[in-house]
Amino acid sequence: MKKLRVAILGSGNIGTDLMIKIQRSEFLDCVLFIGRNLSSPGMAKAINMGINVSDESIRAIEKNPNCCDLVFDCTSAKNAIHHWEILEKLGKIVVDLTPAKLGGLCIPAVNLEESVKQKNVNMVTCGGQASIPIAFAIGKTHKNIEYIEVVSSIASKSAGPATRLNLDEYIDTTEYGVKIFSKAKTTKAILNLNPATPCIDMQTTIFAKVDKANLEELKMEIDLIVEKIKSYVPGYQLLVPPIYENGRIVVMVKAIGLGDYLPKYAGNLDIINCAAITVAEEYAKNRNHG
Amino acid sequence: MIDILISDPTLRDGNHAVSHQLSAKQVAIYCEAANKAKVPIVEVGHGNGLGASSLQVGIALESDKVLLETARKNLSNSKLGIHVIPGFATIKRDLQLAIDIGVDVIRVASHCSEADITQRHISYAREKGKEVYGVLMMSHMVSATLLVEEAKKMELYGAEGIIIMDSAGAYLPNSVTEKISALTSSLNIPVGFHAHNNLGLAIANSITALEAGATILDGTARGFGAGAGNAQLEVLVAVLNKLGYNTNIDFYKILDASEIAELEIMQNIPVIKSESIVSGLAGVFSGFSKQVKRLAKEFNVDQRDIYFALGEKKVVAGQEDIIIEVVMEILKKDKHE
Amino acid sequence: MNSLSNSTFIQQDCERSCTDVELLRPLSNKNILITGGTGFIGKWISEMIIYLNKQFGFNTKIYLLARDIETFKSEYPTISKNVNIFFIEQDVKYISELPSDINYVVNAACSPDSREHVSQPLKTIDTILKGTSAVLETSYRLPDLENILHVSSNYIYGNVTKLNQKNIFESDLGVMECNSIHSAYGEAKRMAETLCSIYRNQHRLPITIVRPFAFIGPYQKLDKPWAVNSFIREALIGGNIRILGNENNVRSYMYGSDMAYWMLRILSVEYTGEIYNVGSDEAISILELSKLITKLFNRNIEVTSRYTKDNHNKIHSLVPDISKAKSLDLTNTFSLNESLARTIKWNQLFNNVYS
Repeated sequence: MKKLRVAILGSGNIGTDLMIKIQRSEFLDCVLFIGRNLSSPGMAKAINMGINVSDESIRAIEKNPNCCDLVFDCTSAKNAIHHWEILEKLGKIVVDLTPAKLGGLCIPAVNLEESVKQKNVNMVTCGGQASIPIAFAIGKTHKNIEYIEVVSSIASKSAGPATRLNLDEYIDTTEYGVKIFSKAKTTKAILNLNPATPCIDMQTTIFAKVDKANLEELKMEIDLIVEKIKSYVPGYQLLVPPIYENGRIVVMVKAIGLGDYLPKYAGNLDIINCAAITVAEEYAKNRNHG
Repeated sequence: MIDILISDPTLRDGNHAVSHQLSAKQVAIYCEAANKAKVPIVEVGHGNGLGASSLQVGIALESDKVLLETARKNLSNSKLGIHVIPGFATIKRDLQLAIDIGVDVIRVASHCSEADITQRHISYAREKGKEVYGVLMMSHMVSATLLVEEAKKMELYGAEGIIIMDSAGAYLPNSVTEKISALTSSLNIPVGFHAHNNLGLAIANSITALEAGATILDGTARGFGAGAGNAQLEVLVAVLNKLGYNTNIDFYKILDASEIAELEIMQNIPVIKSESIVSGLAGVFSGFSKQVKRLAKEFNVDQRDIYFALGEKKVVAGQEDIIIEVVMEILKKDKHE
Repeated sequence: MNSLSNSTFIQQDCERSCTDVELLRPLSNKNILITGGTGFIGKWISEMIIYLNKQFGFNTKIYLLARDIETFKSEYPTISKNVNIFFIEQDVKYISELPSDINYVVNAACSPDSREHVSQPLKTIDTILKGTSAVLETSYRLPDLENILHVSSNYIYGNVTKLNQKNIFESDLGVMECNSIHSAYGEAKRMAETLCSIYRNQHRLPITIVRPFAFIGPYQKLDKPWAVNSFIREALIGGNIRILGNENNVRSYMYGSDMAYWMLRILSVEYTGEIYNVGSDEAISILELSKLITKLFNRNIEVTSRYTKDNHNKIHSLVPDISKAKSLDLTNTFSLNESLARTIKWNQLFNNVYS
């Protein structure tokens, strides 16, 4: 099978972890790892692994437009906008891991097939990848949901300076994603950083306010969708199956990382990367069939 | 000249005690009374602050908008304060609204080790010309050295004073002295203490803080607040008067305000219940108490077991969902035994 | 419509600060690179060069190097549209080639925003150290290089500022709490000076170091949580002034156009490896400063102080001794009162937030 040639823009933790994961893919070939500085730890890792690297940022692709078919953007929302202007003209597919929201939101367990019809897909947020499939299942089994809320706790150690500075953007993007997929009237996202040692695993609770809970059907839907997520995020698990208490449905899930580039507590990073790879692989499969 | 700046979160921390069900009318009544007593700062809102009304920590009866507008109308001598935790409240959705309504004092809070998340909110509020404080919650959980480091960050972000909270009511006086002295000798700005009464030390700890150099203290009418409640404001004012400190608060009027509060806004006057003692010993956030009580009853689990399990997990304020997880774990364990 | 344009306002300031045009002649027909070019220092040096080109036919070219040029271009059209100003959009840490016609380099990259120093200390250190070494390494290969002005900081004086109440000499050196994240900026700035001396010694690079103190004036961002900035901001938006920390602490402020003239003068002096404090020696207590600002507004402004008692008896003074700069015929042409008045007026006229 011919592999899809992919490039990674951004040599931080997300980009580097993505690169390591792609090495295991039957469908993807990481042809270029792009940053701005050859001496960053991510670059060193890539060079050690024998992957082509560039420190020329988006110019690396502009200079050699035929180098790849798909680009993972792991930079920042601001840069992603600028990159898309260029990559769209070059006809590249972009899997966007920043909160830029230029393309449609993609949650592989929910809308994988639809997503790959677009040239730019956005991976929402880590909390969104963990909570939206559950919110979607609640939306599927309940009508007229008044309100859905998702609360994520992550290990303080797994939240870098950029995450801390951009909590508001995380909240906005996650709330937007939950709303779109659950069709709830209002949504809310909350993020807690917990400094406890040993580090806590990423944990997410989904609350829904519904008139009447349909737990039987919801349980079935959730079991199905959790299995689906597990097929691409092995460390994803249902911690507390749906219960109805105090007028609210409560479901808790957690995500343990694969421990590729960052240790296992960084489940938040793992889940968004696994999702991004899944959508890229779908593009690859379609191309082979098409 | 005020020696000690008193901030009164009766209508904020007290909201925890009634599962965030304070009504606009109650807010109006207490604001009027506190305003008459010339309480310098009256803090109003959901127990977990601005934008925190949620299934996670409790849906408030009134929106932030209603609470703050009502308070604004009834405060003229006193400044209107709010508590803001980034992660719950965003600048665009919540803080802008509060500033438009006309809050005077903004206290931006984070867990004691996570001051970085307050930079944007503190800067924004300062740029809008507001009086801004940094608040470190659950401050018993880190050492004095680490606490100073976080507090200094907030000072550099533009905070005009740092308040450490004994959110779990876990402090003994000697640790109050240690932490407050460390802060006052390292910071250029005033330092404050927010007490909880789980171990019966709220007033004693507040006075200890003051002796160690703190100049800002929080107190609530009848101690109305999360868990076992806060330092009782009218007692605090009496003790401060007796010690010769000036708070600018009218003593008779604050006594009146506390009567009004008891009559109009409290379902129960805070007492130190058995579970509060356990909660304090386990170092668990006081705001958890209502949900722990409800879930313990609902699933027939011992509250004390829940508190000790939460303490072991080192949960922080805002992680109320973990109570459910803990209850489920206890149930599972019970089944096996 | 304002009768006075922003550019006229600024050019008037430049004219006053430029006490002896002939001293800057060495820069005529030369090309200057400024890293961190879109900051306060970069803007003012650009304005001064624009003035010299226009009034005295200097024909000096400026390259401004910064990461985000687009925002700057839209915010400061008078600078960015000038025919003698060119832009290099790049991260200073990663430069490896520079235009070969550069004769002078002003290394002013890294934000002095203390909020960023503590929330992003690693980025701060990287920008200062990797940035400085990239600039020096690349400058080494410039064929017609005459001098590099390395912009250090008064932070490198460490606790001298806490120990002394007299003005700080270039030879004074204090210690710093090396195990604190609050030292990230200061320690990196110290190390950067060491890098400069290494490049000077090992690679024979001509480098002059300046250590700036506090500045004020147009282009100074009032959102910064520093005393003078927040006092002026509060006064402009109708609030009261709160002094944080000891009101008896002593500071001084240099006006933007004076700073620009000083920087260019020091840049153009024949290279001697000297270090110069750049600032004002007109000392004032924070309390007196707040009163001075209050007097410049036509309304009653309440001034209150907030501090911890522990530190109230320790007076912290941060005022440079500038006799070395004076030996180069440099003076502060704007008094503190004039600097404040001018800053307030500029913000009222030209800053959308306050006008």
